[in-house]
Amino acid sequence: MSGVQAPPAGGAATTASGPGGSIYDLGYQSYDGPRLGRRSAVQALFWQTVRACFGIGRGGRAKIAPFTLAALAILPAILAVGFSALAAQAGPAGGAIENASPIRYETYHGLVGVLIGLFCAAQAPELFGRDQRYSVLPLYFSRVLTRTDYALAKVGGLMIALLAVELAPYIVLFVGRVLVAPDPATGLTDEIGAVPRFLLQGVLVAGLLGGLASVIAAWTPRRAYATAAIIAVLIIPPIIVALVGQLTNQDLARAIVLFSPSDILDGTNAAIFGSIPDSPVVASVDLPGWAYLAAAAIGITASIGLTIRRYQRIAT
Amino acid sequence: MSLITLRDLTRHYPRGVVALDGLTLELEPGIIGLVGANGAGKTTLIKILLGLLEPTSGDASVMDLDVRTEGMTIRQFVGYMPEYDCLPPDTSATDFVTHMARMSGLPSTAARERTAEVLRHVGLYEERYRAIGGYSTGMKQRVKLAQALVHDPRLLLLDEPTNGLDPAGRDEMLALVRRTGTEFGIAVIVASHLLGEIERVCDFLVAIDAGRLIQAAPLGAFTERTGVLAVEVEEGEVALAAALVARGLHAVADGRTILIAIADDRPYDIVRDAVAELGLPLVRLEQRRQSLEDLFRDEVYAPPPEAVPPASGGATR
Repeated sequence: MSGVQAPPAGGAATTASGPGGSIYDLGYQSYDGPRLGRRSAVQALFWQTVRACFGIGRGGRAKIAPFTLAALAILPAILAVGFSALAAQAGPAGGAIENASPIRYETYHGLVGVLIGLFCAAQAPELFGRDQRYSVLPLYFSRVLTRTDYALAKVGGLMIALLAVELAPYIVLFVGRVLVAPDPATGLTDEIGAVPRFLLQGVLVAGLLGGLASVIAAWTPRRAYATAAIIAVLIIPPIIVALVGQLTNQDLARAIVLFSPSDILDGTNAAIFGSIPDSPVVASVDLPGWAYLAAAAIGITASIGLTIRRYQRIAT
Repeated sequence: MSLITLRDLTRHYPRGVVALDGLTLELEPGIIGLVGANGAGKTTLIKILLGLLEPTSGDASVMDLDVRTEGMTIRQFVGYMPEYDCLPPDTSATDFVTHMARMSGLPSTAARERTAEVLRHVGLYEERYRAIGGYSTGMKQRVKLAQALVHDPRLLLLDEPTNGLDPAGRDEMLALVRRTGTEFGIAVIVASHLLGEIERVCDFLVAIDAGRLIQAAPLGAFTERTGVLAVEVEEGEVALAAALVARGLHAVADGRTILIAIADDRPYDIVRDAVAELGLPLVRLEQRRQSLEDLFRDEVYAPPPEAVPPASGGATR
């Protein structure tokens, strides 16, 4: 007998032999392998979330927005390194030219902060809204992870993806400047001091923007609403703070500036790098640096907590 | 080992809604039908068994594991197919089921192997690589079943698995459920409001209404009293009914149809002989099982307008 054997009625193995060889139909196989449980499930969800942030595992169209934004974020760093390389060729005068470059560690947040915000607005609604929109949550919660595990894996995945997008240009800048230096060893000692600074700023940006985007996106299954709300939260408060700063006294502006996520990150950047804030209001209210750092830390903690709470209460 | 043990299980929802009201029950592994009208408490019971809802009072255990404290272990060995749509349309069945296997704690390679295995079992072949959004309802139901089976559970909880399917789709899904229960040795609980479907698949029936246990018994106990033979003739039904009663059958005329309570094969021959003797034009001769529903209505709800005579008891009306 040749050809494929029909599935057997029982679970027993059957064999069909023919001129071309034998076909074994083993019937249904039960699974005796390892069941790695909760930790493994959470890790799998975390990495799946990180990949989903970049559209990996979905169609080609899903990759356009994240990769475009990531490329735009890294572009100034590449330009700056090229500029430094040219300046180095100019000889002794190059140092002056390079010092005039507008693309530096301390100015980089001003260049890419908006892009990170847009990355959140584009990707977070997909990460959080999709499972709600298509009622997939009961399938997760009837498995080995808890509601809190689910929320943490999703928030964590988004934050790590943001951190990668945020840190990549700093790393390009750092590596480029070390290599362009006349002597890489002195280049390294000159530049190494910036590493903990941009790491800290990167963590704060990824944490605060990722956390806020998670809270907002977890609250609505509607993608468009979530995207609009995330953009609004990043754009509207700085406008209000600036208006208040201009129209009234500085005390009121000082009080509300710590409720504006974009201004908080401007403040932390200035505090960490010891530079002048981009926003005139942040510069003029003259709050101590630790206030911005504390506000960012509180914002990150609160947004993670609110996201967990949302998933604790969401009806399935 | 008992599959499920319920002790006085009660669940209240806010605003005074009582979903489960003192349910006490012990179930052995098998294919178990959970029947009841919509709102009877079927889904609530399933969610408590999964550890997704806390009981208000009473106890429940699955495979001797307490749902309150060992939900995580229970969920490792239980597969759940929800009643409603739960599939993202932009993912392929393979990717989705593999992901769900990982969410049950399977390693990545095993998750892929098991996915191929269960998708073949539920009858999804080439289409499993296409996005789920393009699937028919029948195919979606198969994916839902596959994700519940992918981690090789000991117990499968199916909530209205034939929801939204056409008659052919229902038949296929029920056959699949039956095969899953008998061939794989997986205990299955099928919740449905359609008794006619449940009785085709299950060995054991649990009937609940308004959160209370109505009856829990092997299917045979439900059906043995309900065998009814319906004989339809173009004319002479009164004469035929009289002839059948004279031959010792419990027969009653219902319009042009005569309903006969049957316990064995003997009435078929008697009917054949009586019809031939009277020379009547026989239109239909069929065994009716939907009277199981009548039985329920009988015991659970209001008495039916036209009651079928019980098999052991009265004669003609």
